[in-house]
Parts: sequence; C-alpha cells; structure tokens
Amino acid sequence: MNSTPQLLFKNRVAGQTIFFKDYCKTGGYQALTKALKTMSPTEIVDVVKASGLRGRGGAGFSTGLKWSFFPADAPRPKYLVCNCDEMEPGTYKDGELLAADPHQLIEGMVLSAYALNADVGYIFIRYAYDQQLRNLQQAVAEAKKAGYLGKNILGSGFDFELHLHGSAGRYILGEETALLNGLEGKRPNPRLKPPFPAVRGLFGRPTTVNNVETIANIPHIINGGAEWFKDLARNPEGAGTKLFGLSGHLNCTECFELPVGIPLGELIEDYGGGVWKKRKFKACLPGGASTPYLTAEHLDIALDFDPLAKVGSRFGTAGVTVFDDHSCMLRATLNLLQFFARESCGWCTPCRDGLPLVCWLLEKIEKGEGTNEDLEMLKQQQQQITGRSFCALAEGAMGPLDGLLRLFEQEVIDHIQKGECPF
Amino acid sequence: MICLGNFSAEIEIMKKLLLKKQIDAFRRKVAKTEHPRELVIDLLREIQDRNGWVSDEGVELAAQILGVTPIEVEEVATFYDKIYRQPVGRYPIHICDSICCWSRGGEEIANHLQQQLEIKLGETTTDGLFTLLPTCCLGGCGRAPSMMIGRRFYGNLSLAELDRIIEQLREEAKG
Amino acid sequence: MPTLTIDNRTVTVAEGASVLDAAVELGIVVPHYCYHQALGAVGACRQCAVTILEGSQKGLKMSCLVTAEDGMQVSTCDEESRSFRAQVGEWLMTNHPHDCPVCDEGGECQLQEMTIGSGHGIRRYRGNKRTHTNQDLGPFITQEMNRCIQCYRCVRAYKDYCGGEDFGVMGSRQRVFFGRFKEGPLESDFSGNLIDFCPTGVFTDKTSRFKTRYWDLQQAPSICPHCSLGCATLPGGRYQQLQRVRSGSNRLTNDSFICDRARFGSDWANHPQRPREARIDGEKAEFSVVLSQLEERLQSLVDTYGGETLRLLGSPRASFEANLLLKKLAVRFGAPTPCYDAHPRRAFAARAAGSIPSGQLASLQQLRASDLVLVAGVDPLAEAPVLALALRQVVRAGGRVVVLDPRPVELPCEFEHHSLTQEALLRGLSAPEENELLESLRQQLEAAHHPVLVGGGDLLGGAGLLLLRRFSESCCGDSDCLIFPVLHGPNSYGGGLLEEPGERQRDLLEDLENGKVRALICLEADPAIEHPDPGRMQLALARLDLLAVFDHLPTHSVAAANIFLPTRTLFECGGTYVNNEGRMQAFAPVIEPGIPLEVSGGGGHPLRQFDSGVPGSAPHSAIHLLQQLLKDRQDLFGLRRQIVEEIPCLRDLDRLEAGDSGRRMADCGESLEESRLEIWAQEGELRLLPVMARYGGDQYSRLSQPLASRLQQPCLWIHPLEAAERGFGEGQRVVLRTAVGHFRLSLSCKEKMVRGRVMLPCLPGTPLEVFTPGGLSIPCQLYAEDDNA
Ligand SMILES: Cc1cc2nc3c(=O)[nH]c(=O)nc-3n(C[C@H](O)[C@H](O)[C@H](O)COP(=O)(O)O)c2cc1C
Ligand code: SF4
Ligand code: SF4
Ligand code: SF4
Ligand code: FES
Ligand code: FES
Repeated sequence: MNSTPQLLFKNRVAGQTIFFKDYCKTGGYQALTKALKTMSPTEIVDVVKASGLRGRGGAGFSTGLKWSFFPADAPRPKYLVCNCDEMEPGTYKDGELLAADPHQLIEGMVLSAYALNADVGYIFIRYAYDQQLRNLQQAVAEAKKAGYLGKNILGSGFDFELHLHGSAGRYILGEETALLNGLEGKRPNPRLKPPFPAVRGLFGRPTTVNNVETIANIPHIINGGAEWFKDLARNPEGAGTKLFGLSGHLNCTECFELPVGIPLGELIEDYGGGVWKKRKFKACLPGGASTPYLTAEHLDIALDFDPLAKVGSRFGTAGVTVFDDHSCMLRATLNLLQFFARESCGWCTPCRDGLPLVCWLLEKIEKGEGTNEDLEMLKQQQQQITGRSFCALAEGAMGPLDGLLRLFEQEVIDHIQKGECPF
Repeated sequence: MICLGNFSAEIEIMKKLLLKKQIDAFRRKVAKTEHPRELVIDLLREIQDRNGWVSDEGVELAAQILGVTPIEVEEVATFYDKIYRQPVGRYPIHICDSICCWSRGGEEIANHLQQQLEIKLGETTTDGLFTLLPTCCLGGCGRAPSMMIGRRFYGNLSLAELDRIIEQLREEAKG
Repeated sequence: MPTLTIDNRTVTVAEGASVLDAAVELGIVVPHYCYHQALGAVGACRQCAVTILEGSQKGLKMSCLVTAEDGMQVSTCDEESRSFRAQVGEWLMTNHPHDCPVCDEGGECQLQEMTIGSGHGIRRYRGNKRTHTNQDLGPFITQEMNRCIQCYRCVRAYKDYCGGEDFGVMGSRQRVFFGRFKEGPLESDFSGNLIDFCPTGVFTDKTSRFKTRYWDLQQAPSICPHCSLGCATLPGGRYQQLQRVRSGSNRLTNDSFICDRARFGSDWANHPQRPREARIDGEKAEFSVVLSQLEERLQSLVDTYGGETLRLLGSPRASFEANLLLKKLAVRFGAPTPCYDAHPRRAFAARAAGSIPSGQLASLQQLRASDLVLVAGVDPLAEAPVLALALRQVVRAGGRVVVLDPRPVELPCEFEHHSLTQEALLRGLSAPEENELLESLRQQLEAAHHPVLVGGGDLLGGAGLLLLRRFSESCCGDSDCLIFPVLHGPNSYGGGLLEEPGERQRDLLEDLENGKVRALICLEADPAIEHPDPGRMQLALARLDLLAVFDHLPTHSVAAANIFLPTRTLFECGGTYVNNEGRMQAFAPVIEPGIPLEVSGGGGHPLRQFDSGVPGSAPHSAIHLLQQLLKDRQDLFGLRRQIVEEIPCLRDLDRLEAGDSGRRMADCGESLEESRLEIWAQEGELRLLPVMARYGGDQYSRLSQPLASRLQQPCLWIHPLEAAERGFGEGQRVVLRTAVGHFRLSLSCKEKMVRGRVMLPCLPGTPLEVFTPGGLSIPCQLYAEDDNA
C-alpha cells in the first residue's frame, strides 16, 4: 500500500532488527565509503544544504545551514551529539528506526562527523529505549570491528570515537542544551544561549546536536544526491521523506515513511485506516504534544513545516495523534498540560509555576466548577507564558492550549455553562 | 565529604552495592576520562540494576568513585524520575498516562492495576513485588495503551492481557 | 559607555552593563530575584521583564540579560511588561505561604518588596501549595523551604561563589529543594551568606531570629574587626545588644560576602564578662573620678621621673583616630612614641606593609581579577577568610593560585601548594634567583596579565614583606605585579603608619625590663598575651607603678590594671580602620553602649525591670576618652579635619563616610630598605610553629557564643610521616615540651604540611595562649604521654 520510496525504513521488518551483515547487503556503508574517498567535508555540508533537509527533532531548522555555522577548523575535541531522547508524547519514530535498523544511525553519525570535522560523538538514548540501546551497542561493536568507527576510518585519516549514553528519564533532556548538561553529569537544566552549542557545547567545546532521523537521512542524501532527495517530497517547498508516527483514535496506529507534504486526510485515511469505531475525525496533534491542534478543515493541508506554520500549527516531529468526535478537547488539553507541568525542569517561573496554574484552571473548568473569569485567566496565562519562558518547553506546552482556546473555545464555555463535562 | 567516622565499615557497606569488578571497571573509566562526572548516570543505573533502587549509600558510593561530593550526585539523581531514591517493588510498573495512551484507555489500565494490586499510584504492594508509578510517554504511542515493567515494554494492553502479565510475574517471583 | 533611555530618562552606564543595571542606576525599580550583582544573570526568575522599544533586539525582554546599548529606548511602564511582571508575581506567590507575620524576614524581605513592585496584589489561585520537610542545618541557619521561590541564588552563592561542597539543589519541576544531602551543620566557612542571598525567608539567622523586627532594628554600616581585610558589614541590634551582622557591600573589598567568623563571631560585644565600669585598683568608681585620678597620677609621675618613664601601647584593634590621639598623649607627657602592636615582629610587618607605595598594593577587587596569584605565607581561611573567596574567583575565571606555605593550607578552590618551611620561604625570597621554584614562578608572574603577590605578615614578618616587594618588582612584565599584604588586625596597617620611624623593630618588653619605665597605658591592647613571650611580659607588667588599660574585652591586662577605663566597641562609636591594603574605612555607631536590656531585664518577656545603670557610667569611646585627657573638645569630624591638616597623606580621611567604599591612603609610610635576613639553619631538629587557628584564634570571635561549635579544639598538627617516625599516629596523646612549659595535646596528622615542624593553632583564653602566631619557629620536643608519666 505504501508506494513511497523507502529510505529509512527500507530494511524494516516488523519485530526484527537488522545488523551489520544485512545492513551491508542493501548498500549499507557505501555512502560513507564514497564520501570518505571522494568528498571533502565542505562538499558534504553543501550537498546537505542543497538537499533541503530540515531538522527532524521538531524545530525544522535547515541541517546544512546549521552545519555551515559549525567551526570545523576549531581545535579538537569537537563533538557531534545525536538526540534520541524522544519523550514528547505522540512521538516514537526514532525508536522505531533504531529498533529496526541501528546501523543507519552509525553510518550517518560517522558521515556527519566527517562533514563537521568532529572527532567524538555521543548518542543520547532515553531510558525507555532499552532495546534500542542494546541494538546500538551491538551495532557500534560491529562497526568498530569493520573499521567504520575508531582511528583512521577506511584509511582516510579520519578518526571518530562514538559513545552511547543511556539516560534516566525526563523530557527536558531532549532540549539540546539540557541534554549537554545531562551528558556532562550535571543537572540537566537548559543553558543560557548565546553562547550556542556550536561555540560552547559539550564540555565547553564546539558541538552540534542533531536528531536521530536527521542523521539517519545523511547516508541516503549522499547516495542519492540533493536533487533526488528534495524531489521525494510531495509539496514544492518540502524535501525528503518523513517518518510519520500515527497514534490516537485511528484503526491503524503505526509508523510510516512517507513523503514530506502528504496531505493530512490522505495520511489518516490511507495509512491510519480512518478514525476508529466508525467515528468522525475531530482534531489531531500534527507533530507531537507541543503542536497546536488541526481540525477537519485542515484535512487537505500538506504536512510540512511551512504549510503548518501558516495555519498556526507546527510540523514538529510528525507524530500525529488523532482525536475522534467523542473526545473532550478540554480533557485532552489538560492531559497534555499535566505532562508539560510534570516534565518542567524547575528553572524558570512561567513554566515551573505557570504550567501548574494552567492545569489547576483546566481541571477546575473540566470538573464543571469553572467561571467566565477562569476562562479569561486561562487566556491570559496562554498569552503570558508564550515566548517568555527560558527554554521552549513551556512554549511547547502553550501549543495545545492555544489550539484549545482558538479552535475549541465553545467547548470550554460549554463546560462552564453546563457545570459539567459535556462529553 | 564522604569521610564520616568509620571509613572502612562504610566501604564494606558500599561494596555490597556493586561487585568489585564493577567498581574497578568504573574506577578505570574515571581514571581515563577528563570529566569523570559524565559517568554519573551510568553508575547510578548500574547501582540501581543491582539493588533495585539507589540508597543513600548508593549515592555515596557513586560520589566516592567519581571523586565528587554526595550532594553533587544527589542533585543529579533526584532530577531523573527513573532513578529510584526510594525502595520500589521487585517489579516497578510504569503506566503511561500521556496523551496517546490516555486516548486509548490508559486511565482504565491504571485503575484496573490499582484494583488488582490493591495499591494506589506511587505505592508498593505488601509482598514487595509491585510498585505502581505513573510515567510520561514511553515512546510506544503506536501500541497504546502501554506500560513498562522494569525496562521491559508492554503495549496494546487490554485488561485481560494485564491480568495475565501480573499473574506471570507473580509466578516468576515464586520460582 | 552606552547612553540609553529608560522611561524617558537618560543614563550612561559602563560598557557591558545590563539594562537592569542601568535601571538600578536611575533608581527605577525593576523587580528581580535571580540576578544578583555578585552572581550575575541567569535568566531564571523572569521577573525583570521590560520592553525594549529601540535596540538590536526589540520587544519584551529580561532586562538582566540584555546588554545596554547606545541609543536604546526602554520602557518599564508599558502594559505588556507591566502585566507580565505582575503575572510573574502571581506565579511565584502560588506556592509561597502567607506566613509573613511569623517570618523573621518580614520587613526586609525582597519577595515582599518585589511582589508589591511587580504590581501583583490579589491571589487568584485557590489550590494546594506544595510543601517541603525542612532540614536541620546546624547552629547558624534555619531553613523554611516552603517559602522558597526557586531563584537559585542560594546555590549560586554557596556552591558556585563560595565553593561550599555540602549544599545543592535537588529534585525538579515544582519540587526543587535547596539543602544538604543529609541533615547536619553546614560546613562552609561562608555559610552565613545564604541569609543575605536568599531573597525571602527560607534561610534566616538562627542566632538572631525573632529578637528584633527589622523595622525596630538599629543598623549602620560598619567594618569587620576580625581580621585585617576590613570587609564591609552591616551590624544590627537593639536595646544595647548587638544582635546580628550582615554583609555590607563594597565592590573594592568583600563585594557582598563575609565570612562566618565575622557574622557569627560578633557576640563578644554582649559578653557577660565585658568590663563596663571604671575601676581603680580593682574597685569600681565613677568614670570621671577615675579619669582625673589617672591624669593626676600620670602628671605626677612625669613631673617626678620624666616622660621617658611612661610608655604607651596602641593596638590593631583600636580605631585609627584613637591610636593617633594616643600619639598626641605621648607628646603631651613627653613620652616616646607609642608602640602599636605588643608583638614587635607584627608591628614591623605592619610598618613594612605601609612602606609599599600605594600604587603597588592590590585591592581584593584587583585580586579577584588576577590571572595568577602567588600566595606566600598566608593561610587565608585562618588569617583572612574572604581572601580565600577572592582566590576562588580567580580560579573560577580560569586563573591560577599558587601557595607557598608550611601549613596544611586549604582553599575552596583548586590550587597548587608548595609546602616549605618558613625559613626556607624567607631564604628563598632573599635570593629568589638562586631558588628554582621561585625563579620559575617569577617567570610565570612576569608573563601573567594581572599578577598579584599575597604575602603574610605573620609568617614573613616585616623583613619578609620587604623581600616580597623586591621580588614583585622583578616580576613586573608588561603589567605591574601588585602586592596584597595580609596583616593581623583590622587596623594593623594604620598602627604601622604611626610607629616611630627609624629603629627597625622595637620591643616594649625590653624597655619594661630595663627598669626605667614606671607606667604603661594600653589602648585596647592586651600585652599580657599579645607579646610573644607572655610570661616575661606578665612579670614586667606586674613590676610597673601604674598600668592603665582602656578596653572593652575581658583581658588579662584589664584584670591586672591599676586603672581601668571601659571603652565602647566599634558597634557603639564612630571611627576609622585602615585595612591591609591601606584603605581607610569609616564605621558608624549601631547601638548605644550599656548593659543589654536582655541582661538588665533578667531575660524575661515582657521586660518588667528597667535598669539603666549608674548615670554617666556608660563607656566612652576610646577617642572621646583620649580627647578628654587631651582637653580636645572637637567632634569626630573636627578631629578628622585636624588630622588631615597635620598629616597631608591622610588627605581623604575627612571625606570618609561609613558605608562608602573607603579611600586608599596616599603614600606616607616611611621608606624601609630591605636587608639580608639572617636565617639560621636548623637541621634535624623538630621545631614548633605557632599558627593562627581558623576559629577562636582572634581576640574577638573566641568570646562569641554562637561560634562555640566551630572553635578549634586544642591539638598539635604534625606531618603523618613525621608522626610515624616517632611511632605516633592520628589522635595520639603527646606531651609537647617547649621553653615556655609543657602541654598535653593530641596529634592531628596533616598530610599537606611541611615536615620537620609541628604546628599549634593558637587559642587565646586557653592554657595554650602563651603561644602567639606571628613569630619564627621555636625548638620543642615531643613525648608520648605515658612515656612521660
Ligand atoms: C523541550 C524540548 C524537547 C525536545 N526533545 C527533542 C527530542 O526528543 N529529540 C530531538 O531530536 N529533539 C528534541 N528537541 C529539539 C532539540 O532541542 C534540537 O533542536 C534538536 O535535537 C536538533 O536536531 P535537528 O536539527 O536534527 O532537529 C527538543 C526541544 C525541546 C525544547
Ligand atoms: S521552560 Fe523553564 S522551567 Fe520549563 S523546562 Fe525550560 S527552562 Fe525549565
Ligand atoms: S532558598 Fe531562597 S535563595 Fe534559594 S532558591 Fe529558594 S528563595 Fe532562592
Ligand atoms: S575576611 Fe576578615 S574582615 Fe572579612 S569578614 Fe572575615 S574576618 Fe571580617
Ligand atoms: S503516550 Fe503512552 S507511550 Fe506515548
Ligand atoms: S532577574 Fe532577570 S530573569 Fe531573574
């Protein structure tokens, strides 16, 4: 049913992990060999830039552009860090990728490090991805043995040392500067920026942090070329394929590799098998818990960064969580806000104390004890928190709240007027 | 500082927390790295794997191995929710309460477990087998509702499936 | 220097200053918590938001994080930033308990002030508040965590700035907790700064809480008397009782930090044995009667035997003005110039420090900005605690600290310690070119951008400080190598300036012993134990016809005095100290002299007995007392003006104000030439070096009740190998034999100290008080206790 060229999932077989031998059989490590033999680091950066690849960790910043800011000629050590924290509810694509095919990430890491002239890499893996961590441990050992990791890789003179770091739970570690503190064994509060990680990152050295999927795409871009990669997308401004993780009220909640720009309706019907229990589509989170809702009026929209931004939402991580028409959006929003409040790192006031206040208000209204003043206060909270927290966690928390107040205000008012949850 | 009264007695207590070869392996890593602190999570995870949780002595041991003060380890240990600074049951059950699991019956799962085990969230069964802990998204949103017991993931849960898993673990504990 | 406009008012600020700094400069209140001038900005609390109308970044910004730019337009009155600040106030109050009526911080709580400043008034949140279980943090500080607003200032002050290792932040989200790993007394020597830095009532002063409400508290800016650094303090008290000391703020010296010795060591002013009444030959008498008796007896003595038979002793504890008046008194009676330290070597060290040109002296501020500091012969935590903090800032900023000292020096930062004997250090300094270590250090100092040499008067002596000065001149590369001398008392430097030039080292004891002297006046000095040979000194004092003592401490000399006149403490009068780098700093009276009401009222509450004592019996300040003897009726300002006219290099003395940052003295020390030191070699023998104790070593803080738990217990330090050679171990009871007697002590092994020496932390007020730091090592012998028995 899926006719999209499969890059990241090309080797995926449900319930299995493929390791070195099988990975090589389907062309694994060819991109690395080719790059190390025939391409200079700047050429790689240029290709990645031209490919239009945008960060798959949620922010969607152009990967090539980000790399071009990296001080590749600064003295060593310089670090490449891969972010596999993936703790935003509704997001599980990196986990799927590493469960199926860990060598892709290793090859991507070596390639990216070569492009950046970084000599040490870390892959940061969340606590719950125990299988993925073990897959990577095996893959690293295999790659080392085959000479794809370590000193003088494939005789190119390029050295790269790769470490795995298993974390111990907490969403904030996904924020790149908090992640760096976490790797250093410090309290993982985010850091003040500037200085940016490219200038002072891990252990005070130049560092680039990229998402798993971002890095796993690099070998494919090197193999297929920038043009080819860009053309994979369905919309003109898009580039590449994307892992879409479906969840919520769908008949089929799986992860698919599909072209960037695929319309929402098509994703839901053709891949999600339609809304479950023969119910109607009410809303969805298009890219993880921090992205404002889309509704039925958005079913035609191309799923990509710019089109979603235009309608006040975000592409995020492309983890699509669908809500059927029996869902109380106030209750859903409360659940999301409780997540963010609980995962706050406790550093800044709007997040640490503001999010619990929002939860208190939502809970009060949900229980039917809310007043019109509470609704006003809720709106104020959304305005005051947005853009004013220390890092983007609280900003993300305002995504669903913004969606609720913008698209489902009547539902909130119904709660207040009826004095109970209408669902 | 770790130097409290009876130093050697303390070392003895600590040695129970990790095997000598584990301690030695960490000491070697500490000697090799420029920033020993980066090993703190690895170390805490290992202490937890062996003991089920990280006690005060565990924190002190980690501090000692890394050459930092206990509070420096504690600052980090208490930040993470998967480092248990209190004793937990043999099978800590993390029930996902985030949006995707919630949307597919996560609350029912949590209620059912509380009833079956006769404990509330955050509590441990009197036989010391199970602790119920709500957790945020486990990255198994496609297989919601889900939970994690120890480090093992369970997805697509139904109430019947849940009862089977609990029964199986009870059996395992007996055997 | 950018010029910017905030709320239509224009201000020019230093390069790199933040918009918040600029607002503070203009007196515009922008509430803030996490920012502190000494700790910097971290952007956590989000309380300081303003709107930038013109500038490279526009819109609502945190003013602590935005650097002031030329032409910037800033608003604090606009609706957007105003309402956001009020919102932050509301958020912070959601968990803050409304317990101001029972909170000791009330009235001086920044949370109270800034919440009001933020515009937040009505709490809309009606849910539960998060609560914490408090920890017992020892005798100094009470913790009430429920009041915490999570500004992280405490950890940043305690851990980052002060280097404390037993305090931190635990947990996350809304449940962060600031405390220790386990309950127990805080270990840092700077723990009290938590009280000043916490903007609300989480950390309050256990030693003074619930004594006086802030608005009833009498406070005035003062100077710490517990060592020579002259840190700015803010003491407070009521009803004649000194109740607490907080840090003052002086960027040039201690910035905003003081040590625990100063904060919890000031209770001596309330000491029950403090002598408060004038006495003649042990009998209480009215002040004016005693004063005129004294005058008569002095006059007749001088008339009969001549002024040569009278000696005067000033002190590093007495104010500069009082010491100077003492000199005038000497002139009036035709007596020789007073000595200003009963310890001749310490007196000479002060003179030597005073001879270093002012331009070559470093302030603590300059020291903090140094990239390489060589500390020669100072144990900072014992002799000048806030110096240890300054050294930590050097290391935090990437600089290095190298210590040359025989003692087991500890610092709250990384440093390089070369442990060598006092004699080896002096020998090295007298011929640095022949000493490999010093030569290599010299080259490093020469290459440094802002090198500073710290020299200890006690260990090096005056001769050593002069050698250090010569060494510093050889270290001046592109930038000058500055000197930071450490002396022993708050006015040692000032006393040194008043000493008689010429003679290198005068010893009062020699004068007393040659039998010609018949009378001695001691101004806030206790020669009976401050002299390095107290036994001989006490005999000599006993032979005098007249021993007159002016003091406020219960000392030996006070007990032995024929005539005693009580003086006020620095908390009860105005005056000036000259600190170790020649900075004149004024202190102001805080409380009235007299018996604290808590004592005279029998400690009951409410007070039912009021006893103001004998009218007229309240002590006079030493200055006033001396003025009466000199028939000088000027007030303090008149006196200072007169001093300036007479001694031009003190020209800024009359412009001082308590609470300002003080003024450096112009050069007026005598010029002293360094001379070759005669340093004898002592091979193969064990020698004793009396050293300063970290707590209980100074005349003041040992009398302070709250510090009791920190007081150094009597013991003898020895290198573990030295101990092992003798078959001794840690804790071993030994007998120490010296020329001044033998003492039973237990050994404490210190790995970092030099070999060939044992060291005795000196403890005035104990049998060990016969030992005074500030001298050279002396011969000694060690026996196991039972061998001897
Ligand atoms: C609260 C928060 C959580 C985040 N979690 C993740 C994550 O789990 N994985 C990830 O790759 N990026 C995450 N990010 C984004 C990262 O900070 C960073 O932008 C990203 O790793 C950069 O990689 P990319 O450019 O390849 O997307 C998170 C950001 C925030 C603010
Ligand atoms: S928004 Fe603030 S409190 Fe929340 S995670 Fe980021 S830094 Fe921490
Ligand atoms: S204890 Fe005080 S200083 Fe520390 S974070 Fe809380 S309010 Fe701030
Ligand atoms: S360092 Fe010295 S002057 Fe400063 S507070 Fe401490 S004792 Fe007082
Ligand atoms: S929401 Fe439960 S696993 Fe993601
Ligand atoms: S003072 Fe500026 S954010 Fe706290």
